[in-house]
Amino acid sequence: MKHKLLVFALLIAICLSKLPLENSLTATLRRQKLLDTGLDLSMRESLGQMGFAASLGGLRSLIASISYLQSYTAFENLDWGTVDSLMTLTTRLQPTEPTYWEEASWHMAYNAASNYLNNNELRAAIRNKLFRDHVNRGISILDEGLRYLPDNPRLLMKLGDIYRDRKPDPKLAAEAYLNAYDHGAKSFYERMGAYELVKLNDRTSWEKAYAILKRYYDSGARYASIMRDLPILEAKLEIPVEKRVPVPTKAP
Amino acid sequence: MTPDISPTTAVSVENLTKIFKIGMTKKALVAVRDLSFKVNQGEVYGLIGPNGCGKSTTMKIMLGLVKATQGRTAIFGRNSEEVASRNNVGFLPENPYFYKHLSARETLHFYGKLCNMKGSELHDRAEAMLTLTGLTHAADRRVGGYSKGMLQRIGLAQALINEPRLLILDEPTAGVDPVGSRRIRDLILELKQRGATIVVTSHLLEQIQEVCDHVGIMSNGQMVKEGKLEDLISVGNQTEIILEDASPELLEQIRGLINKNDQQTKLVSLGKPRTTLEKLFLESTTQTGDQEPS
Amino acid sequence: MTESITTQKYKAFSVIRIWTLAANTVTQLLRMRILAFLTVFSLIAIAAGFSFPTMSPEQQLKLLKDVSFGSLQIFSIVIAIAATSILIPKDLEDRTLYTILSKPVPRYEYLIGKLLGVLLLIGGGLLIMDLILSAVIWIKQSLIITGQIAALKQEQSATPENVAAIKMIIGKYGLTWGVHAGVFAVFLKASVIAALSLLISSFASSTLFTIVVAFAFTIIGHGQQLLRDWFLHDTLSSGFGKIISGLVVIICPDLKLFDVVDKVITGEIISAVTLASMGGMATLYIVGYTATAYLFFVDKEL
Ligand SMILES: Nc1ncnc2c1ncn2[C@@H]1O[C@H](COP(=O)(O)OP(=O)(O)OP(=O)(O)O)[C@@H](O)[C@H]1O
Ligand SMILES: [Mg+2]
Repeated sequence: MKHKLLVFALLIAICLSKLPLENSLTATLRRQKLLDTGLDLSMRESLGQMGFAASLGGLRSLIASISYLQSYTAFENLDWGTVDSLMTLTTRLQPTEPTYWEEASWHMAYNAASNYLNNNELRAAIRNKLFRDHVNRGISILDEGLRYLPDNPRLLMKLGDIYRDRKPDPKLAAEAYLNAYDHGAKSFYERMGAYELVKLNDRTSWEKAYAILKRYYDSGARYASIMRDLPILEAKLEIPVEKRVPVPTKAP
Repeated sequence: MTPDISPTTAVSVENLTKIFKIGMTKKALVAVRDLSFKVNQGEVYGLIGPNGCGKSTTMKIMLGLVKATQGRTAIFGRNSEEVASRNNVGFLPENPYFYKHLSARETLHFYGKLCNMKGSELHDRAEAMLTLTGLTHAADRRVGGYSKGMLQRIGLAQALINEPRLLILDEPTAGVDPVGSRRIRDLILELKQRGATIVVTSHLLEQIQEVCDHVGIMSNGQMVKEGKLEDLISVGNQTEIILEDASPELLEQIRGLINKNDQQTKLVSLGKPRTTLEKLFLESTTQTGDQEPS
Repeated sequence: MTESITTQKYKAFSVIRIWTLAANTVTQLLRMRILAFLTVFSLIAIAAGFSFPTMSPEQQLKLLKDVSFGSLQIFSIVIAIAATSILIPKDLEDRTLYTILSKPVPRYEYLIGKLLGVLLLIGGGLLIMDLILSAVIWIKQSLIITGQIAALKQEQSATPENVAAIKMIIGKYGLTWGVHAGVFAVFLKASVIAALSLLISSFASSTLFTIVVAFAFTIIGHGQQLLRDWFLHDTLSSGFGKIISGLVVIICPDLKLFDVVDKVITGEIISAVTLASMGGMATLYIVGYTATAYLFFVDKEL
């Protein structure tokens, strides 16, 4: 009897402390970004019942991997529509995983776009339109990813790549690269931003590019691209000759 | 209901009633009905009765395995509901069964450790019990492959592992061969000599008669006859003479002697003695064992 | 039996008895070949580790971890439920409980011993799987890094800076302390589920019932967080639904609290403090369920 009362008291104490403790631990985990974000209920359809239940039961990462694998198969079959929808599912399942966004945009802006561009069965106008559409799709994927992972350098780097290589849009490319650098990307990306700025036609961009490249030059960097772009900028900005970098007589 | 804490009482059962609620309908089944008896220390107490009269149920209540509906049982003065009451008790249930994956030796070590035994004490004790119950040859075999009699023996060994002061044996000889059951009988007598108290049930009345000091006969969950064995089975005004190798002449002489004596004595019977406990059992129980207790 | 019959002192709580019961439970389950799945797991991990060599390195490592952690979780939950559910009914059916409980063994020790046995088994199994998984990840990761450095050398860009960058990126998706933290979280979740199953089996009349109900609770437990948020913050609705959901919220564990595996896989760091709070929460659940199981079990007719 004494035992039972003791156990009862213990149980009441546990019941009372259970909810507050659960709430506070949940809050801690959410703050540390260790907990899944809520799952969109509309995804139930794309996942099927089993997949949905499993994704609730702590197997979301696994489900994401499976849909990723499926999209990989679709990629090998050049089935771009399926690649897109499966990669969308994958990114929605784990929106805080940067590599998924990166890869989804790469599939669209590079693989799909090029595949359409080189498809000789299509008329040239159609090919170009499909190319542009898929490049834009790649960009919109990254934009969406950046909403979940604001200022993620990997996504910004990829965005810069697409604007530089696929659009091309030097202004936005430079913006993305410099943004990536500001948020932890390697110094290489700051220079990439500067190289893009050089291609633009306004003085502020040139001044910005010059400031960056001169800084690298002064700290001893002699990369070919710097040596190529600095004289161009000096000419555009009409830097006095004595302040210009010495032009090597022979190409390095 | 004053708890019996007399130092000589090993087991006390007071006004014990057990009602099982069976099936979906919760039909009441009275397994034990207002049962009271006492077992003194150092005694061998035999509980007999037809199938289903409530012997095993009573034992389980004594061990706290089943809760009494009414009344109480105590062991050495401690209520059976307290775990501490089981500290000096060994129990052999009917048809015992053990973890299949253990060998006999491992089984004994397992139960020994549950009694807080350890080290060489436990080891020596386990070996002694294996020898005692005649299982040494099979000590390393898995219990899963044991025959019924062997299970009974390991059951007895495990009941004895902690040198209990009280032994509760539910049909210890069921399924054991004649030699083995004779050994168990001898063992009970030996343990009694060393001061242990034993409560035992059996359907083999000769054995009960051989070992028990006290006997209780149950029927339909009630005690119908109880007392010292001698008192129960000796018919007060009768004397039995058992002779060996008596010649017909001698018998004739005895007959003559009886007739020559005063009028009151007369020869009732002369012949082979019967197991009188069995007679008593049949006389006092109404339950047949092939029906549910009413 | 000596001349003077010794009266052993009875202890109300004995670690030796609990350990005896737990160790016996472990051997019992081991003899049921319950750890055979370890082989299956190793095969899955190795297969996942060395298929799809054309994918990006991060994805290869992530896939390896996803598949391994997925099977790890499924195995541990299934074992937690199945093993715990069969133990008590089996002892009851085989009547081994008679001989155990007729020794001076309190019923709570029996329950704790059984649960501890299951936890030891799951813990041991997970530890072995952790080692296997770590080895596979490490081999895979080393192969990828060597391959990438070789590629850099071919492009003559194997500067220390680039090599370090590769090691960092791959390392984040490779073997980190987080992997062990993740296995620990899986263990915590399985332990809570085992305690819950023990509770159910303490009053259930059949093993199948226990298993089905335990699975149902496991699924509900993963949604408890949603239900709790609704229960606590939705002040508008009332009535029957509210009462039921309140009951579920009180009874059910929040299993999502142990779902950090997803983040661990991508190299997110879990602090020791957070892990400790998760452990504390799991302990609270386990104590609660075991205590309730005791209340049911103490009056059980054997
Ligand atoms: N757990 C239980 N649930 C329902 N009824 C029970 C239970 N245990 C025993 N009974 C009933 O109680 C009565 C007494 O049973 P018990 O086992 O005590 O008889 P017994 O005297 O030991 O018989 P036997 O000589 O056959 O061993 C029986 O009618 C039995 O059916
Ligand atoms: Mg019986």
